[in-house]
Amino acid sequence: MKLQFWGVRGAVPTPGREYLRYGGNTCCTVVTGAGGELVVLDVGTGFCQFGDTLLSGPFGQGRGQMVVLLTHTHWDHILGLPFPAVVHMPGNQLLIYGPERTQDILDVMLAPVYSPVYGLAHMAAAPVFHTITTAPVVVGGLTVRAWPFSHGHGAQIWAYRLEEQERSLVYITDVRYESEVIRQQAVEFARGADLLIHSAPYTCSEQVQNHGHSCIEDAIETALQAGVRRLVFFHHAPERSDDDLDALLEHWRGELRARGASLALDAAAEGPQVEV
Amino acid sequence: MLVRIWGTRGSYPVARAEMLHYGGNTACVEVRAGAAHIVLDAGTGLRGLGEALRREPVPGGRRIAMLITHTHWDHILGFPFFAPIHEPATELAIYGLQRTQVSLRATINGAVSDPLLPMGLDSLAARLDFFELGDNAQIELAPGVLVRTARANHPYHALAYRIESPAGVVVYVPDTGPFHTVLFGDERVVWDGMPTTCPERLHTLARMREAMVALAAQADWLIYDAQFTPAEYTRFPHWGHSTADQAMEIAEEARVRELILFHHDPHRTDEELAQIERDQQARARPGLHVRAAFEGMVLSRG
Repeated sequence: MKLQFWGVRGAVPTPGREYLRYGGNTCCTVVTGAGGELVVLDVGTGFCQFGDTLLSGPFGQGRGQMVVLLTHTHWDHILGLPFPAVVHMPGNQLLIYGPERTQDILDVMLAPVYSPVYGLAHMAAAPVFHTITTAPVVVGGLTVRAWPFSHGHGAQIWAYRLEEQERSLVYITDVRYESEVIRQQAVEFARGADLLIHSAPYTCSEQVQNHGHSCIEDAIETALQAGVRRLVFFHHAPERSDDDLDALLEHWRGELRARGASLALDAAAEGPQVEV
Repeated sequence: MLVRIWGTRGSYPVARAEMLHYGGNTACVEVRAGAAHIVLDAGTGLRGLGEALRREPVPGGRRIAMLITHTHWDHILGFPFFAPIHEPATELAIYGLQRTQVSLRATINGAVSDPLLPMGLDSLAARLDFFELGDNAQIELAPGVLVRTARANHPYHALAYRIESPAGVVVYVPDTGPFHTVLFGDERVVWDGMPTTCPERLHTLARMREAMVALAAQADWLIYDAQFTPAEYTRFPHWGHSTADQAMEIAEEARVRELILFHHDPHRTDEELAQIERDQQARARPGLHVRAAFEGMVLSRG
């Protein structure tokens, strides 16, 4: 199972020199299975650049297949969908799993008042939609599990766990744990994973307002209690520059060392594909 | 008159090393004219303007007129991230195209409300007023500061704006196709690469072109859609965008002083844009200046 980040930023893209090393495109993470299975976690603006790379493969000939897993339908997780040329080529197959009403919501996103596509019906790679549930989904050699959490403000997100043989990756973003009981569900969901990608836009002290996110501290506690090998901060706040992220990582790595924890810590960065 | 360009990119914002100079944020241009403080479109560049306004006092206080050409995503993406909308002292007058199908307020509110964003216009601290305009409107934003509109040739309609004050004229046409191939309107158009032969449409296009040239007449700056290269234009369904040559044709006919190429394609690198800029400069008639818009570009007169 290979992993590549194409968009790591939350809320709004941040083009600019001070965001280049980690990246300024919004949420899009691509997992490739050993058998070539393609699973895309969220389709923020990072999906535009990723989609362009597909033209040289089967997608360029209208024979591509991908599974898209949506956590929820806020802008920074869906707005990249209509832009790559490959989604406008008949024959390509997009299987989209998301919350209830995802199809209707994406149809609104592509309505003529917002988009020159004039509605989902005009995306030639006619996507097929499935409402995500907690029942496992098999994608070739990968097994996908999902679990619902709160995003605060009454909104919901779905977390995903991808497993391939002994390897496992968990993706929890835009979560706001409303109680310790609920956070313990995340601990169970992430239990023993090789990699936990977790939204971490703000520390508890930075989070003066409720932006619908848990704190960085929650991500770390969850990773430690779940016994994951590596935690990757994701959904960086738009105001967080590369240097800020370096400092943040250094601080929390120091804290982990001081606690004698073996948890490896990184911040998601747009860049090359890595083995999980 | 002072014009500052905060976002130059079309279609979608791009964060890439190869695009740092011209910039990856989508359409947003600030204009200060007389007592008016104006923002043209609310693409992601708007976020940077909001940050800047925290540091700088603005003549006219916290009153801002936002002129929206149309509500495709790349023109509204910055709206929720514009810091002044969260400040009670801000008075934001939002202007946009009048449609029979849906109000401007409902369109923007829908974009920033659940399930697309957890915001909603009613929750904002700033005072918002919405004004809907036709495609041949004229309003006085402040004493001596006139705004005129024309219809751009773009899917589901879009406006073009002229801002005129004694200190200068800037004309903003970020999204328009040319006026000889295909007419965009309410209905979705599938373009097969052949110019329309329908006499009625050709007539409408000719009148739109005349109105566009009149809108741009003698402008100090014409900020104009130049998304495509000629090769791309023939190859793709063009979705209502122009080439730099087509922009230059309008600029020359309207006798503008400087053409600012705008709405850069999201794939266009700095290197490619610099080349386009040089080519167009070499081709321009004497008296017409041509530059490509870059993030942070300042145009001023008076």
